[in-house]
Amino acid sequence: MKNKAYLFLLIMGALVLVSAVWMMLKPSDTVDFSADIKPILNKNCITCHGGVKKSGGFSLLFEEEAFANTESGEPAIIPGNAAKSPFIQRLTESDPELRMPYKKSKLSEEEIELLTKWVDQGAKWGKHWAYTLPENVDIPEATQSAGISSDDSGGFIKNDIDHFILRTLENNDLEPSPPADLNVLARRVSMDLTGIPPDDSLFNDFITGKITYENMVDELLSRDAYGEKWASWWLDHARYADTKGYEKDLGRTMWQYRDWVIKSLNQDMPYDQFTIEQLAGDLLPDPSVDQLIATAFHRNTMNNDEGGTEDEEFRVASVIDRVNTTFEVWQSTTIGCVQCHSHTYDPFKNKEYYNLMAFFNNTRDEDTSEDEPNLRFYSEEQQGEVDKIYQWISKNENKEVAKAYNNFLQYSEPIYHAHLAKNYTNGNLADTKWLALRDNGSCYLPDVYTQGADYMYLKYSSGIDGTKVTIRKDNADGEILAQFITNKTKGREIQKIPFQKTNEKLNLYIEANNDKISPKSPTSYISWFAFLPEIKAKKNSGYAQIDDSFMKLLNTNTPTLPIIIENPEYLKRTTQVFERGNWLMKTDTVEPATPQSLNAWNDAWPKNRLGLSKWLVSKENPLTARTLVNRVWQQIYGRGIVASLEDMGSQSDPPTHPELLDWLALRFMNEHNWSIKALIKDMVMSGTYRQSSKNNAKLYNLDPENRLYARGPRIRLSAEQIRDQALAVSGLLSTKMYGPSVMPPQPDGIWQTVYNGGNWVESQGEDKYRKAVYTYLKRTSPYPSFLTFDAGSREVSTVRRTVTNTPLQALVTLNDPVYLETAYHLAKIMRQGKNVDSSIRTGYKKAVLADISEEKLSALKELYNSSLSDFQEKPKNIKEFIPFETDTDANLAALTVVANAIMNLDEFLTKS
Amino acid sequence: MNSLDRLIKEKLQREIQAKTRRHFIKDCVAGMGGLALGSFFMSCNSFLGNKDNAKIALTERDINPLASMAPPFPAKVKSVIYLHMAGAPSQLEMFDYKPTLHKLNNQACPQSLLEGKKFAFIRGVPKLLGPQAEFKQHGESGNWVSNFLPHFSKVVDEVAFLKAVNTDQFNHGPAQLFMHTGSPRLGRPSIGSWVTYGLGSENQNLPGFVVLTSGGKTPDAGKSVWGSGFLPSVYQGVQCRSKGDPVLYIDDPKGITRNLKKSTIDAINNINKKEFDEYSDPEILARINQYEMAYRMQTAVPEVMNINNEPEHIKEMYGVQPGKESFANNCLLARKLVEDGVRFVQLFDWGWDSHGTGHDTAVDLGLRNKCTEIDRPMSALLLDLKQRGLLDETLVVWGGEFGRTPMQENREGQEMAYKGRDHHGDAFTMWMAGGGIKKGASWGLTDEIGFSALEGQVSVHDVHATMMHLLGFDHEQFTFDFQGRPFRLTDVEGHVIHEILA
Repeated sequence: MKNKAYLFLLIMGALVLVSAVWMMLKPSDTVDFSADIKPILNKNCITCHGGVKKSGGFSLLFEEEAFANTESGEPAIIPGNAAKSPFIQRLTESDPELRMPYKKSKLSEEEIELLTKWVDQGAKWGKHWAYTLPENVDIPEATQSAGISSDDSGGFIKNDIDHFILRTLENNDLEPSPPADLNVLARRVSMDLTGIPPDDSLFNDFITGKITYENMVDELLSRDAYGEKWASWWLDHARYADTKGYEKDLGRTMWQYRDWVIKSLNQDMPYDQFTIEQLAGDLLPDPSVDQLIATAFHRNTMNNDEGGTEDEEFRVASVIDRVNTTFEVWQSTTIGCVQCHSHTYDPFKNKEYYNLMAFFNNTRDEDTSEDEPNLRFYSEEQQGEVDKIYQWISKNENKEVAKAYNNFLQYSEPIYHAHLAKNYTNGNLADTKWLALRDNGSCYLPDVYTQGADYMYLKYSSGIDGTKVTIRKDNADGEILAQFITNKTKGREIQKIPFQKTNEKLNLYIEANNDKISPKSPTSYISWFAFLPEIKAKKNSGYAQIDDSFMKLLNTNTPTLPIIIENPEYLKRTTQVFERGNWLMKTDTVEPATPQSLNAWNDAWPKNRLGLSKWLVSKENPLTARTLVNRVWQQIYGRGIVASLEDMGSQSDPPTHPELLDWLALRFMNEHNWSIKALIKDMVMSGTYRQSSKNNAKLYNLDPENRLYARGPRIRLSAEQIRDQALAVSGLLSTKMYGPSVMPPQPDGIWQTVYNGGNWVESQGEDKYRKAVYTYLKRTSPYPSFLTFDAGSREVSTVRRTVTNTPLQALVTLNDPVYLETAYHLAKIMRQGKNVDSSIRTGYKKAVLADISEEKLSALKELYNSSLSDFQEKPKNIKEFIPFETDTDANLAALTVVANAIMNLDEFLTKS
Repeated sequence: MNSLDRLIKEKLQREIQAKTRRHFIKDCVAGMGGLALGSFFMSCNSFLGNKDNAKIALTERDINPLASMAPPFPAKVKSVIYLHMAGAPSQLEMFDYKPTLHKLNNQACPQSLLEGKKFAFIRGVPKLLGPQAEFKQHGESGNWVSNFLPHFSKVVDEVAFLKAVNTDQFNHGPAQLFMHTGSPRLGRPSIGSWVTYGLGSENQNLPGFVVLTSGGKTPDAGKSVWGSGFLPSVYQGVQCRSKGDPVLYIDDPKGITRNLKKSTIDAINNINKKEFDEYSDPEILARINQYEMAYRMQTAVPEVMNINNEPEHIKEMYGVQPGKESFANNCLLARKLVEDGVRFVQLFDWGWDSHGTGHDTAVDLGLRNKCTEIDRPMSALLLDLKQRGLLDETLVVWGGEFGRTPMQENREGQEMAYKGRDHHGDAFTMWMAGGGIKKGASWGLTDEIGFSALEGQVSVHDVHATMMHLLGFDHEQFTFDFQGRPFRLTDVEGHVIHEILA
């Protein structure tokens, strides 16, 4: 009975609200397609009359389809005449075989009325708000109601964001909450901007009024920790990890990309540039090393080294992932559906997927085990040599040739990989990686263009001397293009072999002979073949040194990073539509193009990834700025203005504050010139953000998820923040930035991957206490305590982490030795207090930046006392509990228990 | 309608849904699962109430995401034990008897079988390889089992075979993902996560979805095969290990007594309760509950994971080796876990990739040893569940990620020293046993050499649909909204395999 009464009240309350809003906003009589009609169609019609199926030849997905003739020969919708439109007639048909929705319950009277009205009003098709440009909106005017003043002191309104929020609150008869206490606000903003609590001096300066809130915000935004904190967020989008994924999940070097993200965020690189460099840095004129590093964004795709897998299949898988990720990250659009059929709900056609794929289908990477192309990082001295070579060739030959050699030193492309070879006799692609011919073995390398080169570069290894290799044109009887002997090598070597000049595309016939070896032994293992334009000026002085230094540099081991490089014209792939998404069933050839329902293409843009990235950051694109603004808002407030961060479209959650979303998006592009820092500053400077997060039952029942923002955000910290905060408050946190990922302590036996010799080698010294963003991330086995706190495995792009609350989390912060060590170090700080009370006060204040209440103090004091007597009774437990330090006694052990409890409090794990 | 109206309407709907699908906590204590830890007691009023005496409307799941829920349809079973032989066991040496293949041993494979087929390692024209085990019919059902599985032969009447399961994936990682998430690509929830999400757990002291591995390695596809995909991570599988901590960080630090840990959690929760009084955030209640559960898990998990206390005859029956990581231990643990109300127990045993590249992967040598390793324990598991009356409410599933070729592998086109078989997904064997399963049934028939299905071909989606059916779900209706569309385990396919249902 009670429940029923409760429900009744709830419904009544909501009804009152609904009618209040109706009264206030007075809906106009015109039916709006996006708001009124599209939801009805999506819910009731589109499954049979949409992207996948077109029953009766009728589809409601695209405008031209909806008004076209159906199988009956007539259109179903006759604009202006609902009575004659079968589309409307069929809704009320008495014959169940004819009545729509077919074999489902009849539409409601209201729905039928809306549809009828819409057709009578001319059946005007409309675009969903997400596909129309953000509109300039007026900032709602402040009212004087609810005692809200807009002065700078205690009032709610601090900037324009608050006007939007306030209007909705007023419409719902709600008032904003009072401002949060200063200490709570200082911790909140510091956690949000830098991922760690404020240091003592910043905190005190703010609390004592020495600096303003804005000063504090500016200071936090300028700190290095800002980039480290927000990098974790972006790296989720970028699916950044330290391993390749799939079965073997071998390690790869990607950290230079992570460092690029941190630096770019700290420099506040405008988001348009940030976008272009990551998607197309290699296509910019004379790209800098940093711009090439940025392209590693799309090399975070996985790479399959499993035995027996075909590289082409997983190259295609990577390309598909890049299309999907680009659209998910920049457009809040799940374009993946369109791979097999036109989008069921949103205006994207099947073919358009492959148009998009054509932008990404011409990169050099081919899922090889070495992850080529790799950017090579030279020492200063080596770089000097590289520069010398460039200068010599520019001077003696020309710039273009010099660039080809320079690029080859920088990232060794273009190359022909071993996996391209076909028609083996006495040979095979060994371990699905290397071209291996036995005595009298042969194979073909098809479609090779040498650019008229007079040398071939060959990367291979061999344990055998004296193999004669012959390369002929087209077949076994063809003209000999090269003939040479391969001998034992030290590991894999790159060698230079004289080659017959030719300017046509040809098939290379490759033959190996060595009768001194067993017929089962491969003569060598070839990784790749490459050709560079001829240097004609070989007689000029200095050539010999340049040539020698070039080969030495090529054979030098350097740090590397997988990057994106575009195919040269002669290696261009055509892109074909895959029938029902199957990569082996290729049909129509397509060209690069962007979806019609989005902004138009500008012919000044090149039809490649560079053009695509410019299209994305064009101010005419309706989704890019909205997407970014929405996601940053979610980071700050715990919920997006459109809650489904991954999807803005006709199936997404409706925006809670559509005008605010548009206003922020326009401001971000036009006033802030894509500055993320300025955007974040707007958000954290608002009165909305600065509210107290205290809830009450009325507020909770009306708005459990805080969609209306009548209170400040209260959200559990992220995996990274929880670790970094614990290290920070205990004084252990290292501020060292950048470099290879580190391996802080984790339990034994976590890494158990098939066919992979990798080991977790615990980092020493300062590296044990680095920020979480620097922790090594193995995709099949991420750092366990992060996983427990909802960090992902970064196998695919993650735009939103689900926040959970589980017992396993409690076990981490209670029992993980990492957290015990931080508790011990916090306890040592606490020990400086003159008595137990003051020790506990100190520890609590240090951890949560608040003065402890008497009740909480007594609870912790009780814990201290029982711990102390426990350790005094069993002194050997002290050493067992704190095995990593010699400085121990019962008091310190008891304080460590208390510190551990403090670091498990909800208020410690939560941003209040 | 403007967006705000919709928002309110949506909220109303949400409330009504919450009301009908679950139930509000009638009184706060009942809703808190096992909130019974010693001195910690909270009165109803101060718990959910507030100064203004209004109450916060919460569902049980708001506080405890693992709260047990009834399925929408009558269920045949309450829990699942899934035995996955990672690497893909050879059906041709275990269950799918092919006398003709024996006759054709060593003959070149007909070209017609190779056309349009892709293999992981076979190149050129391989030879057919006859069964490397001897087969007999067993039990009343007369189902065929090889001499590699003498114990299993005796319980064959308990199970129903699927002889023509089909998968389109022939590499381990993607095929394992497909088998466990319904998709060969990453990002979907595993079947155990779906089940735990849908049904919660019967035991609030243990994880609802437990994973046990043996064979020295985790599966090729990594932890994603028990991941929660887009479902909240609370529903992902919890790996329990037979060496080291059974669950990560489950043991108290050395030197901390149980009493002291209890005092710690009391203090934390006392303070958290005060925090709740101030902030009225239900997440705080959930956290209080999770700390309680963590404490109880610390006792319950090591207890259930300890097989030493089992009677000798049970240990003997399974052939366990206490202190080691073994499939036998895991089978016994699986029984203990479902007995204690764990919803889904997933076993992975690694080492079934019989390519014939060496002794351990030869179908006549290494495979036989692997069979011996699992034969006794998996048979014991069925018998033990049965004698406890648990088999009727448990579903036991056995299988790999695909099957193996009737052809002998000829890696890189060359004859190999040991006899092995390549990956093959066209038709392979799985079996199920337990509640709702037709005992002694066999569905599906392969051709004379076991290469393709002749009848009764079922897909991975069909297997999933059947499992869901037995648990009380219509696989087409059990969905989760993500990225703007409803997702389900079986994607857009799957039919319940009625032929093996009782």
